[in-house]
Amino acid sequence: MKRASLLLMSLMLVLTLALTGCGSNKAAEPTEKSNESATAPTDSKKKLTLWFYFEGKSQFDIIKSLTDGFTQKNPNIEIKPVYIPFADFKKRLSVGLAASDLPDIVIIDNPDHAAYTAMGLFADITDKLADWPDKDQYFEGPWKSASYEGKQYGIPLGSNNLALYYNEKMLADANVKPPQTWDELRVAAKALTKGNVKGLGISAPQNEEGTFQFLPWLLSTGATFDHIVPDGTRALGMLSDLIKDGSMSKEVINWTQSDVMKQFASGNLAMMVNGPWQIPDLTKTAPDLKFGIAFVPKDSKFASVLGGENLGVMNGANVDEAVQFIKYVATPEVSKKFSQDFGYFPARRDVASDPYWSQNPQLKVFAENMENAQPRGPHPQWPTISNAISEALSKALTLTTTPEQAATEAQAKIDKILSNK
Amino acid sequence: MTKAKGRIAGYLFVLPALLYMIFFVGYPIIDNIRLSLFDVNVMNLTKGHQSFVGLDNYIELFKEGTLQKVLMNTLIFTISCLVLQFIIGLAFAMLFNLQFRSAQRLRGLVMISWLLPATITAMMFKFMFSSGGIINDFLMKLHLISSPIDWLVSSGTAMFTIILANTWIGIPFNMMLLTAGLTTIPKDIYESAAIDGATAVKRFFKITLPLLKPAIMSLLVLGFIYTFKVFDLVLIITNGGPVNATQMMSTYAYKLSFDQFQYSQGAAISNVMFVLLLIIGVIYLRLLKKEEQL
Repeated sequence: MKRASLLLMSLMLVLTLALTGCGSNKAAEPTEKSNESATAPTDSKKKLTLWFYFEGKSQFDIIKSLTDGFTQKNPNIEIKPVYIPFADFKKRLSVGLAASDLPDIVIIDNPDHAAYTAMGLFADITDKLADWPDKDQYFEGPWKSASYEGKQYGIPLGSNNLALYYNEKMLADANVKPPQTWDELRVAAKALTKGNVKGLGISAPQNEEGTFQFLPWLLSTGATFDHIVPDGTRALGMLSDLIKDGSMSKEVINWTQSDVMKQFASGNLAMMVNGPWQIPDLTKTAPDLKFGIAFVPKDSKFASVLGGENLGVMNGANVDEAVQFIKYVATPEVSKKFSQDFGYFPARRDVASDPYWSQNPQLKVFAENMENAQPRGPHPQWPTISNAISEALSKALTLTTTPEQAATEAQAKIDKILSNK
Repeated sequence: MTKAKGRIAGYLFVLPALLYMIFFVGYPIIDNIRLSLFDVNVMNLTKGHQSFVGLDNYIELFKEGTLQKVLMNTLIFTISCLVLQFIIGLAFAMLFNLQFRSAQRLRGLVMISWLLPATITAMMFKFMFSSGGIINDFLMKLHLISSPIDWLVSSGTAMFTIILANTWIGIPFNMMLLTAGLTTIPKDIYESAAIDGATAVKRFFKITLPLLKPAIMSLLVLGFIYTFKVFDLVLIITNGGPVNATQMMSTYAYKLSFDQFQYSQGAAISNVMFVLLLIIGVIYLRLLKKEEQL
């Protein structure tokens, strides 16, 4: 009996050891393999991985068409697109960094680019792009969002910005012209608010989306993300006035940008602030809705915020191939088709001047607005700064504190972030 | 000799479990404590020179006032949920203990809210409590309110909504444990008490509650631990808003670590959570021991 139990015990012990042994063997395997492929001549295919967060089958197919198109031209390099949900994306990257299990290329939200560069995630490709003539074609805002401390760590994939959508019929009925200034906006929003219909809708949750939507208002006052006080207070004050007037719903702090679009599509909003990527969905959900697009009303100057994604090249063994890929994506033909399929705005001037964007009455506004669009940051601490900004917005819109207090508190937080580098 | 052998065999038996615990439970806890004592953020995660800052992360969170705020929120949430869940769960358990027709089937129906994934429940509550949602519609049709209530937009009602959602989820769990407890109480005690003239209320307070005490103790402790680390529900319904009014310790730790890359501060919050739950766990074990000794 005793002996049997001892035997069983030792068996279990051996098994556990064997299991852990297996585990470490398995872990060692891929590194061996990658070493092999690194040293092997070009006859074997090089395999790269691309991470992205665009949701849905059609989006996946569009990304797949990019990687397939590239492999057709470069048969010895294969790129595998991998979908990671947006909510998990940052987490997967930082966990991957700690575990050194990372892709070769990522498509990343442009304000996060600097933060991850500071983390040491991206490769410095300044030299590899030095004699690449296409780089001068890029708009300044998008291009800068992929750089950090004067070095380049990727290139823009595509851009967008925010503008004001308005329901043409509602404005005509209320005899209101699309507002251009804040004063006009406040009057117009009040006149357009009737019954279930609110004058204006924005998206203001306490996260990056809220900051994104707030920046056009903030930047319009002449304030910048690091100097909110004193000018930025006016932006918070104006938006909270709209809530006090009843021209904007208090629910905006829970609305995502697609919620705002749905409210606009179902006729609950006379005006909304949103991006060009909503146009395909909007025309599909509400085909009879006639809408116009204008710049976001201004305080002292027209301003917008730059949205969009960058292609980041990750540090690792495959930097050269990754650069080859991003250059391929950047070629005018590829980038034009991709931007059209994707509802993007091209980040290149030569492609943006294509009649597809410059002649279309709706897209034209977004095209012109590109000159007003400023990037978020870039700053390695952008996520923390952004949190301070969206928190101030939440406080002002829920009328928890006065706009002055919200702005002062946010400024204090931002100063602290910027001071301890 | 044989005794020593037996002891060795015993240790060997627990060895695999012990190894497992060391690697998958012990190491993360120790590393999390280490993380909270250093300054690890986005700038220096991989660069190696992370400076030791002692308790600075804790002090800073405390000075900012957010730590107290999320701790209060979590406690209010946990205690409200526990009380509501327990009372309603007990009521259900006693109701279905009456052995009427289809009691079993109805009990099964109550279990549904326990079986649904928390994310689905959360989305449901989010829709129901939005300003144009079914709750406002219902209350307005009943003429209880004249204009829609902004449930998820003002701080008090947002907290109320998530407490309600979590209570709904937790009722079946309480009901099942209490039902199990009720079956251990012999029927003849009630019968003799009834013969002696004890009223139903008296029987409840003098017989049911005291005899249920062990079940109630473990239920409350397990419920506390389970409710204290609520995450998905809050993340989906309010995401901590409006202005941190429903920010819980778990959601705040997540936000610090994975939205703002303040890994050390996130770890500090998790450690505070860990210590609190550890204390509760120790109290539970003490009570259990006492109960056994009786």
